[in-house]
Amino acid sequence: MRVFKNHRHAISLLACAVPIAALAGGGSIDRTVVAAANGEVVISNVSGTIDVRGWDRNEVQVIGHLGDDVERLDVESGGSRTFVKVVLPRGNSHDGEAVIEVRVPKASSVEVSAVSADVSSHGVLGTQRLKSVSGEITADIAGDESEVKSVSGDVTVRGSGKPLSLRMSSVSGNLDLLNAAGKLDVVTVSGDARVTMGEASEVRGRTTSGEFELRAKLTPDGRVDLEGVSGDMTLRLSAPGGLSTEIESFSGDIEGCLADNVERVSKYGPGVRLNVRAAETGGARVRAKTLSGSIDICDR
Amino acid sequence: MTGQFFGRRVKRIDELAQDLPPGRDLWPAISAGIAQAIEAEKGASAPTVASSAGRYYWRPASALAAAVALVAVGMWIGRAMTLPSGDGMVASTPGAAENGAALIPTAWQRDEKYREQRNALLVEVQVRLQAMPAAERDKVGASLATLRRSIGEIEAALGRDPANALLQELLVNSCQEEMRALTAVRDAGSQES
Repeated sequence: MRVFKNHRHAISLLACAVPIAALAGGGSIDRTVVAAANGEVVISNVSGTIDVRGWDRNEVQVIGHLGDDVERLDVESGGSRTFVKVVLPRGNSHDGEAVIEVRVPKASSVEVSAVSADVSSHGVLGTQRLKSVSGEITADIAGDESEVKSVSGDVTVRGSGKPLSLRMSSVSGNLDLLNAAGKLDVVTVSGDARVTMGEASEVRGRTTSGEFELRAKLTPDGRVDLEGVSGDMTLRLSAPGGLSTEIESFSGDIEGCLADNVERVSKYGPGVRLNVRAAETGGARVRAKTLSGSIDICDR
Repeated sequence: MTGQFFGRRVKRIDELAQDLPPGRDLWPAISAGIAQAIEAEKGASAPTVASSAGRYYWRPASALAAAVALVAVGMWIGRAMTLPSGDGMVASTPGAAENGAALIPTAWQRDEKYREQRNALLVEVQVRLQAMPAAERDKVGASLATLRRSIGEIEAALGRDPANALLQELLVNSCQEEMRALTAVRDAGSQES
C-alpha cells in the first residue's frame, strides 16, 4: 500500500498516456487529451506540416494524416505538459511524412521542432519556440520571450503590435517580421531580414551577407544595434526626441537623408562614419557597423 | 620637386643634397635665445626660492614612487601571464603534465582551443550536411562558405589596418557567429531521434 502511494502519481500519468500513445501506422488521426489552460505543448514532426492553432478549450487535439512510413503518433499529457510526437521507425529518420494540425489552449506555451516540415502557428498567446531546419515557418507571435529559429527555411512572423521580446535567427533562410513591438534580436548569415516594428525599445541585429531592412518607431530611449559584414542595411527609423547615430562602414557607403553629416574616419585611411546627436539629450540611439556593406539611413 | 638642381626633376628622396649649408649662421640667434630664457626663469623663480627648493626636494621621491609602481605593475603582469600553478594550466602536449614540463597557461591556449573546437564542429557539420537533401546542403554550405569568406576579408583588412577597432570587433563577432551557425547546423534535426 505504501509502495502504491509512492508511485501513485507515476501510475496515474501512465494510465493517462498509454491509451493515447497507442496509435500505430499511417492513416487519419484524431486524438484529444485534457490539457492545462496555460500549460506547455511540445510538438515534433520531421517531415510534412505542423499547423498549431490556439483555441478556447482546455484540451489538446491532434488531427491529420500520417504517411505510411510513419511508425506512430505519441500524444502524452502529464501535469502541465503535453507532448505530441510523430515517431519514425529507427533508421528511417527522414522519409516519414505527417500532416498534423494541433489545437492547443490559446494561453499555452508552444515548442515546435521540425526538420523539413513546414510550421505554422496562429492564435497562440503564450511563449512560442519554433524551430525548423529546412521547413518554412509562418507564425503569429504574441507571447513574450518567444524564439523562432531556422537553418535554411524562410521565416515569416507577424507580431500582435504589443511589446514583447522576440529572437529570430537563420543561417540561409530569409526572415520577415511584421507588426512587432518591444525588443527584437535578429541574426542571419546569408538570408535577408526585413523587419517592420511599431514601438521598438531595443533592436539588435546581425547579418553577414544578407540584406537587413528595418522600419521602426523607436521609443524615446530606444536602442538599435546592428552589425553586418557585406550585407547592405536600410534603416527607416524615427523617435520622438530624434536620433543619435553612431554609424560606421569600413569600405562601404553611408547614404540616406542624414548623409550630409557623413565624414571620413581618417584623412588618409578608408572608412566613413555618421555621428549625429539627437535634438533632445537621452534620445533614441542607433549604432550600425559594417565592413563593406552600405548603410542607407533616414529618420523620416 | 626641384631645388638647387633647378631644371632637373628629383625622383627619389636620396637624390636630395645631404650637405646643403644654411644661408646664414643660425647658432648666434639660438644661443641668445637660450640665454634669454635662462635669465627669464631666474628672474621669475627668485621670490619663491623655498617653493622651488621644495619641488626639487620631492623630485627624487616622485621618481622613486614611480619606479616602485612600475616594478609592482611589472610583477602583477608577470604573475598574470605565468599562472605558476593550479587549474589555469594545461599541458601543451599529451603527457607533458606528467613530465612536469611544457606547461603553458590556458590563456595562451585560447586560439589553439578555439581551432580544436571549430575543427571538431566542422567534422560533425560535415556529417550533418551529407545527410541533408542536395538543394538544402548547397544552400547551407554556401552560407557557411560566405561566413568563412567574410572572416577572411576582415582578417585581410586587419592585416592592412591592424589597429582598426571596427575591424577587430567585426572579426570577433564574425568568429562567434560562425560558431553559432556551425552549432545550429550540427544540431539541425537532432530532434528526430
